[in-house]
Amino acid sequence: MRKKTLSEIAENFRNDKEIASQIIKWHTIEPKEAVYAPLPDQIHPDLSKALERRGIGRLYSHQAEAYQAVSDGKSITAVTPTASGKTLCYNLPVIQQIMNNKHSRALYIFPTKALAQDQKTELNELLELAEASINSYTYDGDTPAGIRQKVRKAGHIVITNPDMLHSAILPHHTKWVSLFENLKYVVIDELHIYRGVFGSHVANVIKRLKRICSFYGSDPVFICTSATIANPKELAEKLTGKQMQLIDQNGAPSARKHFVFYNPPVVNHQMNIRRSATLEVRRIAGLLLKEKIQTIVFARSRVRVEIILTYLQELVKNELGPKSIRGYRGGYLPTQRREIEKGLRNGDVYGVVSTNALELGVDIGQLQACVMTGYPGTIASAWQQAGRAGRRQGEALILMVASSSPLDQFVIQHPDYFLEASPETARINPENIIIMLDHLKCAAFELPFNEGEAFGGIDPEDLLEYLTEERVLHKSRGKWHWMNDAFPAHNISLRSASQENVVIIDQTETAAHKVLGEMDRFSAMTLLHDEAIYLHQGVQYQVEFLDWEEKKAFVREVEVDYYTDANLAVQLSVLEEDKSSETELARVSYGDVSVRAMATIFKKIKFDTHENIGSGPIDLPEEELHTNASWFSLKEELQDMTDDRVEQGLIGAAHALKAIVPVHVMCDPQDIQITPQVKAVHNQLPTIFIYDRYPGGIGLSEKVYELGSTLISEAAGLVRGCSCEEGCPSCVGTEISLTGGKRDALILLKLFAEAMESNHEL
Amino acid sequence: MNFKKKLERMKPHIKKTTEKPVVQTEKLPFLDVWNNHDTFVYQSEDHFCLIREVHYELDHRHGEFKLSSLIKAVEMWNRSDFNHSLSAKGYKAEDLFFFDTETTGLSGTGTTIFLLGYARFDGEKIILKQHILTDPSNEVALYLSFLENVNYEMLVTFNGKSFDWPQVKSRHTLIRNHVPKLPETGHFDLYHAAKRLWKSSMTSLKLKSIEEEKLGFERKEDIPGYLAPAIYFDFVERKNPEGMLKVLEHNEKDILSLITLYAHISAQLLGNDENQSSSEKLEAGKWYKKEGEQKRSSDYLNASFEMDQNPSAAYYLAMDYKKQEHFERAISLFEVTLEYGSPREQRESAIELAKIHEHQLKKLDQAYLYTMKAIKALDAEDLRQERKTDKLEKIKYRMNRISRKMRK
Repeated sequence: MRKKTLSEIAENFRNDKEIASQIIKWHTIEPKEAVYAPLPDQIHPDLSKALERRGIGRLYSHQAEAYQAVSDGKSITAVTPTASGKTLCYNLPVIQQIMNNKHSRALYIFPTKALAQDQKTELNELLELAEASINSYTYDGDTPAGIRQKVRKAGHIVITNPDMLHSAILPHHTKWVSLFENLKYVVIDELHIYRGVFGSHVANVIKRLKRICSFYGSDPVFICTSATIANPKELAEKLTGKQMQLIDQNGAPSARKHFVFYNPPVVNHQMNIRRSATLEVRRIAGLLLKEKIQTIVFARSRVRVEIILTYLQELVKNELGPKSIRGYRGGYLPTQRREIEKGLRNGDVYGVVSTNALELGVDIGQLQACVMTGYPGTIASAWQQAGRAGRRQGEALILMVASSSPLDQFVIQHPDYFLEASPETARINPENIIIMLDHLKCAAFELPFNEGEAFGGIDPEDLLEYLTEERVLHKSRGKWHWMNDAFPAHNISLRSASQENVVIIDQTETAAHKVLGEMDRFSAMTLLHDEAIYLHQGVQYQVEFLDWEEKKAFVREVEVDYYTDANLAVQLSVLEEDKSSETELARVSYGDVSVRAMATIFKKIKFDTHENIGSGPIDLPEEELHTNASWFSLKEELQDMTDDRVEQGLIGAAHALKAIVPVHVMCDPQDIQITPQVKAVHNQLPTIFIYDRYPGGIGLSEKVYELGSTLISEAAGLVRGCSCEEGCPSCVGTEISLTGGKRDALILLKLFAEAMESNHEL
Repeated sequence: MNFKKKLERMKPHIKKTTEKPVVQTEKLPFLDVWNNHDTFVYQSEDHFCLIREVHYELDHRHGEFKLSSLIKAVEMWNRSDFNHSLSAKGYKAEDLFFFDTETTGLSGTGTTIFLLGYARFDGEKIILKQHILTDPSNEVALYLSFLENVNYEMLVTFNGKSFDWPQVKSRHTLIRNHVPKLPETGHFDLYHAAKRLWKSSMTSLKLKSIEEEKLGFERKEDIPGYLAPAIYFDFVERKNPEGMLKVLEHNEKDILSLITLYAHISAQLLGNDENQSSSEKLEAGKWYKKEGEQKRSSDYLNASFEMDQNPSAAYYLAMDYKKQEHFERAISLFEVTLEYGSPREQRESAIELAKIHEHQLKKLDQAYLYTMKAIKALDAEDLRQERKTDKLEKIKYRMNRISRKMRK
């Protein structure tokens, strides 16, 4: 039987009654014509020859604009959707510069090793076509010791990642003299990735980089490329400390895209419960895969990825081989990931189920369809995932399947809000004191600090004095010297604020234990506790023993028909209130809090039916976290509102806020936590806490405070607009048992909004 | 931003790097103590450091050897007519620069070298100098004084190729605008030499172990090297030279050992050690082979074999004979290895014997027997299973070929 084409399948979806009735909106994005500009005259003949051989006789307008600005010595930030030829925005000026002056050097920074590999291949192809004797090398953990010296001395273009820059290049900068003396360009690709904790760390690494450059007398131009976010220029300037020219008029063409918003059918009308998004995705992705349409399925969590992978492999195992559908996520080892990437490119792999690891610009070639299991949490993220489909094809299908979560329901019921809204703002907080202190140590190790020397615009004297008292630095004749036998960068990980990862060890074969992957400590509390079912490449493992002291989880392969889901109990206390505003009834504050979290119990949940088939305790110590928070308290007892009603109102309001907050503060839903408390420890009042999940905070809850009443009003709008009668998972949640819970949540939200508005009067 | 207040609260989150005490003082107290220990101030503009200088007689005995044994070694090299990467041919004893540092930690830009120590021969005496960094802000003086003093052709160190010298280069780069360039020199790294000669016979290749086992030198009341950073941090704080004097003594012993170690290793390579063991002869022979000195190599291997029928030496000699197509001699030597060698040597020689019997002598039955012996030897080897399987398959491939030939 002939396989259907993508347009035929799309047509089927429109005509199939069952599917069509669940489609909230079918949005077609018309193809866009390219806008070209001629190749600049001064381009080196070898380079223009190479471009011609690649079939590039002219540039897209944004590439030409980038070239011009960089040639004028300006740092730039180019906003480039997937497949818009962003690499030429930096490769062109960089290669041109090196062709004109063989001593020039450039440093490329990619967020992951995989991306660096990918870009090296592309860059080297271009350099070969140009027959240029320009050396470009990757420098990462995989670089053999034998060629490291060559990279350091003779690499014109050094391609690395921030972790390597932080722990291997900067602390040994004296071995890189020829790079730092001649560094003309620093390229930062995937700028939007550098947000939150990671971005805050990397901003500090770049401060260190610039400090070393200035020691060797160079002052590189920064070239950043970013996916669409609300504040690319601001983020780039905060990250690099350089004035940026923004290039956001994209000249690349794009294919016709069908963006389909799909809301699963309601199965319980009273409770407004919908069919599970996972099951709907299984069905829809199955339809696509059976027609051999190369499809990428995105899921929000590692567990979801593995569940969907298991489903899909089962579903199509007779039509396609078992290896034709693969999982792809953060915990996999590099070799596994490379193999999958290769399979996608050469067509051995038809389907990929991924967490947002693949949002990054790894070139995986031809994917025709993209299915999102739930809204990915941010508008920018959703567009990035959508960009995975239709890179090369004439037409592409993108399906967003909503889950019952309030955030998903908000988005799916307001598709125009999603399609028209400006994307989120990326936040970093390089001045997070814990992060900055770590990097000041590294910086002092790299070069002594002079009295009065600023560290990226901040006067670090207080912190340097502190480090002197702690016997890490020694001050002598106006300089702070490193005076310690440690190597500071080794103890500092850029990827998390909590340092130690838990190593996952498979002991299925007694004689041959092997490491499956790693997981950060906070996630491990709920995903790797004793008896947890841990899924890896679709294979189920049971955790036999979590050694919390040694940070090791021992797992063994099992075959069961359930997965596990754990609860985290949280205690909060206020340490210091920095800002506040209030009315007579409510008070809104921002400041420092202490969070104590403890994993309590886990549930076993059956595949397919998703019913709860058992539970057990989790015996792990409490983890303490000092961070920033915004909190909303009710000051007085409300007339005619009982304690029960207040409690229900708080839970409902918190549930709605959970949906709204990540949309406005560009972050992973896990980066920010929202906890209602009937009697907060510090004031004994009913309070909702919104806090950053990282020590010292990364600016998310501060943003919540700044956004003020807009945010609260949006949450109220979500609750008011929901079609359910007495609350549902899509607005105030299902933990509310009293009638009128929706109304009470609205009352509280209104009071908080008023308190926030009074902000300016105080 | 009020950091101080925040810091108080954040203290539990901030990883402590150390507990060592460090404070600052301006002047250098205890100058009299220093002077009593042959140590004087070097001053350049507003920077200063300390330099300790002591002299040794050539007759000075350091363990089993006199320092003068170095002179003899250099003479011997100069009379030699072959090449070796440790050869001092073309150099005088005065050209060698025995060099060792003490640092505040492992390699990395922030690790400070606080002691540069060296010795060189000067006519009838040996001059040993130690340049001491009294305070991290005085590094310019440390390197100025060092670079004014050094005049040498060849560095002699223990692991200086991968640690001391790169670290000197690194710290020098930080102040390169204030001090002269570092000279280009040759470099004898005795750690690598010791590894070649003694790796198979010694469990530890630390300088201390080599001193005890090979140089007959035992340290008394020596502070262990790993304490040096802590002692230095304490010195920077309190300025009391007490601990530092111990570090200086430790460094001094290291440097004297470099002198006798070079002499002793030279004796090993020049056939000048009457007590040379069979294993040392073997390793010297292998080393010369690597250096491309075939004649020297087989002399050493023969000596080793003659001494105690060393099966490893037999193997290397046999390989040479095989190459020269002296098959009978090769066979009898391989037989020795097959009988007395380690399982691995047994396997390798069995395979060599199989090859010779199959291809040269055309004795297929014999060849087949040797492949069986190879399998037996492989069985006794301590290898990972996959490597074993891999090797087994190769032997079986050979076996099958031989038995096919036998059937013809």
